[in-house]
Amino acid sequence: MSAVGVGSAPAEARGDLDAAPLTARQGLLRALWRSKNGRIGLVLVGIVVAGAISAALGGTPYDPQFQNASALLQAPSWGHPFGTDQFGRDIFSLVFAGLGVSFEIAAVSVLIAAGIGSIAGVIAGFLGKWTSAVIMRTTDMLFAIPAILLALIVVAALGAGWRNSAIAIGVGYIPIFVRVVRGPVLTLRESGYVLAGRVLGFSRRRLLFRHILPNVSGILAVQVSLALAWSILADASLSFLGLGPPPPTASLGEMVSQSGSLAQLAWWTLAFPSIAIIVAVIGFNLLGDGLRDAIDPRTRKR
Amino acid sequence: MLLTLFGVSVIIFVVLRLLPGNALTSSLGVSAGLLSHAQIVALNHYYGIGEPVVQQYLSWLHAIVTGNLGVSLTSRTSVASLVGSALPVTFELAIVAMVLGLIIGVVFGVFGARRPGRAVDISGQTVAVIGLGVPSFIIGTGLVTALAALFQYFPSSEPFASLAGDPWLNFQQIIFPAFTLSLGIGAAIMRTTRASVLEVSGQNYVRTARGKGLPRRSVTWKHIFLNAFIPVLTMSGIQLGYLLGGTVIIEQVFVLPGLGRMLVTAINGRDYPVVQSVALIFAAGFVVVNMLVDVLYAVIDPRIRAAR
Repeated sequence: MSAVGVGSAPAEARGDLDAAPLTARQGLLRALWRSKNGRIGLVLVGIVVAGAISAALGGTPYDPQFQNASALLQAPSWGHPFGTDQFGRDIFSLVFAGLGVSFEIAAVSVLIAAGIGSIAGVIAGFLGKWTSAVIMRTTDMLFAIPAILLALIVVAALGAGWRNSAIAIGVGYIPIFVRVVRGPVLTLRESGYVLAGRVLGFSRRRLLFRHILPNVSGILAVQVSLALAWSILADASLSFLGLGPPPPTASLGEMVSQSGSLAQLAWWTLAFPSIAIIVAVIGFNLLGDGLRDAIDPRTRKR
Repeated sequence: MLLTLFGVSVIIFVVLRLLPGNALTSSLGVSAGLLSHAQIVALNHYYGIGEPVVQQYLSWLHAIVTGNLGVSLTSRTSVASLVGSALPVTFELAIVAMVLGLIIGVVFGVFGARRPGRAVDISGQTVAVIGLGVPSFIIGTGLVTALAALFQYFPSSEPFASLAGDPWLNFQQIIFPAFTLSLGIGAAIMRTTRASVLEVSGQNYVRTARGKGLPRRSVTWKHIFLNAFIPVLTMSGIQLGYLLGGTVIIEQVFVLPGLGRMLVTAINGRDYPVVQSVALIFAAGFVVVNMLVDVLYAVIDPRIRAAR
């Protein structure tokens, strides 16, 4: 997911339609790198993901939860690049640990949303009218509840916590995946090669997994990227409201909420967690936009 | 629309019934264990738990339709009266934020599209990136900090004043949270407006209008903007969902006694009658507004009117 794959893409990625899947994918990466949004998105996401992974592996300069009583609310310095908070914890370490937790929750919630949502979407698009009607009406109803509100209700029912946040955020995003996947499946179902496959007597499963799903994967990738951005935002919002994973889990939203009363004296307690959230959200949003540009032949420049 | 509302009420009911424990243990805490059997039966009857689920749902639905939203478990007052005092605050906040968002979005969108690549356009695009990428609670917290540092102004220093009671104080208390919320909405509306105006500008009738010598302003607003407005309207309807979700967070930041703050307090206090009712009110508001948007299409576009 970096520049490494881009340079090795073969020069000949022109005939997209009948190109081998591998070549098409490398062409996608290259197109992604060529769009300005995609490039900035890749870089931003690369920075925060690399930081979060190294923090998760214990690569932070301090233990995020270590409270140094002799270094309370210190301004940024060489020892503490992002300063320290009111308990003397190193904000640099906390921010990256918080990003790690945030990504874990985002990944699980997007897995839930994309898994359930796209299966439901494919079924609604591919199977008969009745099943489709039931799924789409249910989706409409879920859609009628603002996503963050739906997440709040689920947290209210399940209680605050790591896993519950992921479930709550995932549930809120399911309807979007259903809608995004169903549309193209409806079109693909009537496309020449699927009809041909049907005439040849291919099983439904083969048609679905070999002929339809690969053609939805690009749209799915765009939506996954946008969903990750939304999940990070939603997770930060939930923990800002005090409904995220309880302490001592590092959490960016909670850091912002805690800093509210301190920020006037210690701007760094507000600034750095905020910047981390913003970079992650904008990064995934731009990556999604870039992917959209890359797979849309109308905007794909050669 | 009624079907959607019905479905929404079922979803909220089902989700909230998943909860472990029940209203009894959560409202009485440890002392619930000291109750006699007869007391438990009586309390179950009072709270309506212990009946079959479908019956519980139907009696909830019946109560809502007749305006009885139940009794708050923590404050022991009727949910309806709590909602009555909180709803106007959220309503006002949402309206002011939507209006501000529309002004920001339409002005930057139209002028940006009329002069692509110029200063207005670029500053608009920058605002859009910030508005879409920076969560409202960060903008809000930053704004509160800045107001405190620069003007020694604290939003929570005085109790909330109603619009009728003290309009000037009310304005001061509403304008900053509304502005915070409006940035996100404005950014989305701006992008849609800009794209839509650019598309319409290329139409033949625009060239004709300009060719026959109509003043630029008249072409922009009468020929281009009105025809470009439908996607903007759709986007505004979608944004209202985010707006309603956003009020929950912003009311927390600016300490406004609205529905959103009530919801968060209720979730933390496990006050389920309040959670249920407030969630349903938010969802109902969203559904109703989206229906109004559909009606507005017909008002704006004579072709849709004719097609009906």
